[in-house]
Amino acid sequence: MRQRESTIALLFLAPAFLALAVFLFYPIVQTAIYSLFDLEYSTRWREAPFVGLANYRAVLASREFWGSMRFTVLFAVAAVTLEFVLGLSMALASFWVIRPLRGILRTIIVLPWAIPAIIQASIWRWLFNTDVGLIGALAVGLGLAEKPPLFLADPTLAVFSVIIAYVWKGAAITAIFLMGGLAMVPQHLHDAAKMDGARAWMRLRRITLPLILPTILVVLLFRTLDALRVFDIVYGLTGGGPGATTDTLSSFAYKFYFTFVQFGRGSAYAIITFLLVMALSLLYIRRITPHLRFR
Amino acid sequence: MRRPLHTLASLAITAAVALFSLLLLYWVLVTSLKRPGTEFRLPLRVWPAEISWESYQTVLGPGFEVQNAIRNSLLVSSAVTVGALFLAALAAYAIARLRFRYKVQSLALIQMAGMAPAIVVIAPTFVLIRSLGLLSSLPGLILPNIAYSIPLSTWLLAAYFANLPFELEDAAKMDGWPPFQVFWRVMLPLAAPGLFSAGVLVFLGSWGEFMLALTISLGLPEAQTAPVAILGFSQAFQLQWAWVSAGIMLSLVPVILLVLLFQRAVIQGLTAGSVRY
Repeated sequence: MRQRESTIALLFLAPAFLALAVFLFYPIVQTAIYSLFDLEYSTRWREAPFVGLANYRAVLASREFWGSMRFTVLFAVAAVTLEFVLGLSMALASFWVIRPLRGILRTIIVLPWAIPAIIQASIWRWLFNTDVGLIGALAVGLGLAEKPPLFLADPTLAVFSVIIAYVWKGAAITAIFLMGGLAMVPQHLHDAAKMDGARAWMRLRRITLPLILPTILVVLLFRTLDALRVFDIVYGLTGGGPGATTDTLSSFAYKFYFTFVQFGRGSAYAIITFLLVMALSLLYIRRITPHLRFR
Repeated sequence: MRRPLHTLASLAITAAVALFSLLLLYWVLVTSLKRPGTEFRLPLRVWPAEISWESYQTVLGPGFEVQNAIRNSLLVSSAVTVGALFLAALAAYAIARLRFRYKVQSLALIQMAGMAPAIVVIAPTFVLIRSLGLLSSLPGLILPNIAYSIPLSTWLLAAYFANLPFELEDAAKMDGWPPFQVFWRVMLPLAAPGLFSAGVLVFLGSWGEFMLALTISLGLPEAQTAPVAILGFSQAFQLQWAWVSAGIMLSLVPVILLVLLFQRAVIQGLTAGSVRY
């Protein structure tokens, strides 16, 4: 009987695993194979010279790689921190406001998350435009600047612009996840603390935050994973520029593929990105699976 | 006694969040309603002096035809939603309800696959789609996107299936129903709310997918999805933002409608995962 049930389970799992095999597992292995060959202007690796780890050595020795690695890590740390502060504030607010406003507030919070990242990138690119952008005009209008700053052409401002654009969407999803955690904090604990005269800040620090700590950890891991993979916002907003100052691992690897048409080098780049993300996602999976309870 | 103050502060907070979240969309909406050519006129107006629909006519007319990209996106996202939900429901049912070894490992492997950065699969996927003759076609977008949507939907559906009662399923099994019938006629109807919120998330996710859509479309209009088309507009018409804004507004209609109508399902779907940690 048990034997039969596991056969059935296998049949139920097979279609999903087939789809994953064709479009995720196989391409990852293939990219790893590409990365060991000297491939330019073609992906016919069987006809190309095998170069072992030469592509990896070349990537790891290049300044561009360390530049994009540095930016990606800096970006992830800054973006996830900002997202968390904004997201937690919004999530707490959505529980604190009077009842009739809660549904409206949650809808408003969710909306930025649902808008495709590349469309947001297009909008931000226009808002940050020096000649016709709203943000430059506002900065001048408020007397913060004499003339509109070069948001996307100045290396430092470009970094800030990319982070702001990414956080706008990321804060929304962070808030939604944290709302899930907050919904599970028992109300009676709050009431008891209130009766004991604990102030709002104390209740937040001593009751709410410790109770949602598991959710917070998962959210931070999940968002860091997402930030390390970032592509759309960078591609649409700065294209990695000025120079390569805002190139992330993904956006630079994409250039290797489809601008320089160097598939071997690009694949080595992609595999390094993959390994970095996978190391973190192992932590993530370990964090979320022990709590699973199935039959 | 603190009621009026609480109400006032609540309104202020909601307004502040709305300003943060909606300003971008509001500015795009206002710009799309300005007469083309006046969108950058100073002083900036928070509402157009007169509402003009000219930009909408332009982007729906010859040369732009943003409706084609929106139709492509609707077709792709609908097909992906149906396909991914079906495959994910099968897998999630096995993981949540059937006894076999390595079930947590299976789910972990599926989740790991979902974490892989798009950049590590894009080149071989391009080659594969080309060898299938599906470049610049909708099936070329639909098939990989189904696979990309499986991890999230399997996760959500497994959590949902796990919480359903066992009585009906056991009764059907006692009556000798074959496993697929139990799944299809008993479990799926019970899981309808879970399927729905997973479906909304898959739809929104594939609607916004960009790297594959950009690469597979080859820049040709036949298989351009809304995000790819909008990026193209915004790069080609940097100084005609009334047009671009109108295109953006139209391409966001399905997304905004889904969120407004199904806000509850979206939030429940997204938090379902985190609630179970």
